Amino acid sequence: MAAAGINKQGTVVTMEPCFRHGRGANGSTVKVLECGVCEDVFSLQGDKVPRLLLCGHTVCHDCLTRLPLHGRAVRCPFDRQVTELGDSGVWGLKKNFALLELLERLQNGATNQSGMSEDALKGMGECIIRCDEDESHTASVYCTVCATHLCGECSQLTHSTRTLAKHRRVPLADKPHEKMLCPQHQVHAIEFVCLEEACQSGPLMCCVCKEYGKHQGHKHALLESEANQIRASILDMAHCIRSFTDEVSEYSRKLVGIVQQIEGGEQIVEDGVGMAHTEHIPGTAESARSCVRAYFSDLHETLCRQEEMALSVVDAHVRERLIWLRQQQEDMTILLSQVSTACLHCEKTLQQDDCRVVLAKQEISCLLETLQKQQHQFTELADHIQLDAGIPVTFTKDNRVHIGPKMEIRVVTLGLDGAGKTTILFKLKQDEFMQPIPTIGFNVETVEYKNLKFTIWDVGGKHKLRPLWKHYYLNTQAVVFVIDSCHRDRLMEAHSELAKLLTEKELRDALLLIFANKQDVPGAVSVEEMTELLSLHKLCCGRSWHIQGCDARSGMGLHEGLDWLSRQLVAAGVLDVA
Amino acid sequence: MKHFLRVFTQFFVFLYCKCLWRGLKLVVRKFTGRCELQRICYNNKPGARRTQKIESSLRYSKNELMQSALSIHPDKVEKTVDDIMALKKINPDTNPQLGISLQASLLQIVGYRNLVAEVEKLRREPYDCENAEHEEMLMKLWKELRPDTPLTSRISKQWCEIGFQGSDPKTDFRGMGLLGLHNLLYFAEHDKSAALQMLQDSLQPKHNEGNKPEWEQKNFDKAIGYSFAIVGINITDLAYSLLVSGALKTHLYNVAPEMPNLQHFQQTFCYLMQEFQRFWIEEDPSDIMEFNRVRSKFHRRILRQLKNPDMALCPHFAASDLHLVNL
Repeated sequence: MAAAGINKQGTVVTMEPCFRHGRGANGSTVKVLECGVCEDVFSLQGDKVPRLLLCGHTVCHDCLTRLPLHGRAVRCPFDRQVTELGDSGVWGLKKNFALLELLERLQNGATNQSGMSEDALKGMGECIIRCDEDESHTASVYCTVCATHLCGECSQLTHSTRTLAKHRRVPLADKPHEKMLCPQHQVHAIEFVCLEEACQSGPLMCCVCKEYGKHQGHKHALLESEANQIRASILDMAHCIRSFTDEVSEYSRKLVGIVQQIEGGEQIVEDGVGMAHTEHIPGTAESARSCVRAYFSDLHETLCRQEEMALSVVDAHVRERLIWLRQQQEDMTILLSQVSTACLHCEKTLQQDDCRVVLAKQEISCLLETLQKQQHQFTELADHIQLDAGIPVTFTKDNRVHIGPKMEIRVVTLGLDGAGKTTILFKLKQDEFMQPIPTIGFNVETVEYKNLKFTIWDVGGKHKLRPLWKHYYLNTQAVVFVIDSCHRDRLMEAHSELAKLLTEKELRDALLLIFANKQDVPGAVSVEEMTELLSLHKLCCGRSWHIQGCDARSGMGLHEGLDWLSRQLVAAGVLDVA
Repeated sequence: MKHFLRVFTQFFVFLYCKCLWRGLKLVVRKFTGRCELQRICYNNKPGARRTQKIESSLRYSKNELMQSALSIHPDKVEKTVDDIMALKKINPDTNPQLGISLQASLLQIVGYRNLVAEVEKLRREPYDCENAEHEEMLMKLWKELRPDTPLTSRISKQWCEIGFQGSDPKTDFRGMGLLGLHNLLYFAEHDKSAALQMLQDSLQPKHNEGNKPEWEQKNFDKAIGYSFAIVGINITDLAYSLLVSGALKTHLYNVAPEMPNLQHFQQTFCYLMQEFQRFWIEEDPSDIMEFNRVRSKFHRRILRQLKNPDMALCPHFAASDLHLVNL
């Protein structure tokens, strides 16, 4: 490998002259054709465009503009013949198109060639070393005395004389390394490496450098050992790279596999008999799509069912109402006819003579009494029932329909003893703060808020009562769990109670509102901290829950909590409409 | 016609309340030669009947002295009685009994007012862990109720044994303040056997009278008796509301010969505790969740009993406890 490297270097050196200029200032331009005056290379456009003079010489545009004008003419700098200039001056002179074409061709060729030669170089460096005697042969041995690469044939030929035959020739693989010479002391080979930080740009040194030269007194190491060390590290690195490559390729293979899995497609499968046949394997994309389709069709069905149910509820309501109204109508008709009969009777009595009138007195008064009674009943009825054609409709979150102005919601308030359940309840009910006594059993109150009617069951939090909480779960739409934020020691107890609550089957669909009470007390656990401490996100995963900081003393936060509850229970927008 | 009668009656009642009754009083006074207070004292037995009438008579009096007599300091009662006698031109020598009766009633009225203030002050005072006195009382309560088992620490699960909600009784005193503690302690100290019996019953949900195996069977799995301490606090609330609403006047005026004091209130509390226990057993609720229903029923019953002006809730108190003077 090292031999190949050196050989490569050598080749580069030999080939360099023909490239150096070309790779100079202008990148890909080749310096073959240059202006005879300024010796700058012609270019395809710009200042260095070659222009033709009348005498046939070519000068670059730049030089032409610098020539002294003789009237309206210039003299050729080579043979001093005069060339007349037109109105447009130097620009009027023709470009040397033959030259330009040549230039262009040369440039393209040069880039191609250089590319090619580099390719060739690479190939050679890696595997083949030519025989120094004959370019067409491939070297196999190396003569240590003549320092030449030879093939077997040429080696025989060139070293046939007795003296030359004594030359030691080794296989190419065993070719000794050439010793590099110190640039300062040309006779000494480089033997050491300087280890000083400051000399890292040129660490190589010979024995003279080491003892008397610029590396005098510096720390050093043997060139060979240092090189070996670097080689070892390179090998290590190579190893690393290999494993890295393996990883990358493994990963990319996996990627391909996954893409295939996602896309799905034909796959050859061997069945039990041994017959191979292709089978269509559905990709995950396809299955996801079908899953979505199934979900939505399910949803569609449910929605249809719910719609039917809701409509039937409305129908039933309408029917009931109409029946009642008709009944009322009939009643009214009967009442009317009764009244009119009574009137008729009175009229008749009026027209009769005095004796009969007196006799009929009893009857009439009886009639009047019944009339009065009916009137009384009627007014009472009218007071009770307001005639309103409206059918106020509210939708719950689960798409049930509710007819009527208020929607009732059953809520259970739970929590440890002393958390503030009863206080919150009474604050909501009467808007006054009071220090309650420990609740034994439960309190129940209805609280109206917006168009909702909360029936709140406040169950005592005493240890012994907690097993009885479950009697209150049935048909509960929401659980309000109250936590005392300023009592850190009991948070864990609250947590375990809450965890127990959440495993209850009856409460599976219930909303969970957590009140972090007593936020006004200094040192209270904040809502965020509480969420963190009780790991609520994990605990309440998969259900609708909300934590609300509050303070039963001032009532802060309580209504926000109820707002949340109502938002959850009632389909969006309905609250505002109603 | 009916309507007119109704309006007329209303108008008459209004007129009567406004001025006629004063005229009536004047006529009666002239006729019998006795003022209203005299009439009340002579026609009514001592006790709530007399004191309540005197109280309302004084309250509706147009004389400022008489009105202010309701809210004077107890030390000035004697002088006020003399003033009233002078105002009404009653000769103390011919009516020696009147002065004494009036003074006793006035003391009861003023004493009740002071008792309400005292109880309210106790209720408003929150339990304070820093206060050694409070702590001492709490420890004493434990020793009285559980003489055999020492308390392991101030904050301990053991408090649940005597019916507190948690391991620190402090939280349970929030609503009733020190009043709850005072009452419980009084009950445990002065009615020890009853208190211990009650505690015993609360720990084992078993009635001492009338064994009901089916009841026991039904509730065995729940095993929730009612908790002594927090029931005590609840009954304290009941007694407190009775006192503040004035319903206890009947009882206290009948029981206390002169000024009713805190002790009387606490005795009433002891009585209510025992009575409630009896009531609870009578009601035979299926579990503790019916507590509030039973409690309000009990409350109504007590109120009904107190409507009777001759009613004294606990006439069975030992004489030594009450320092009774023969009325």
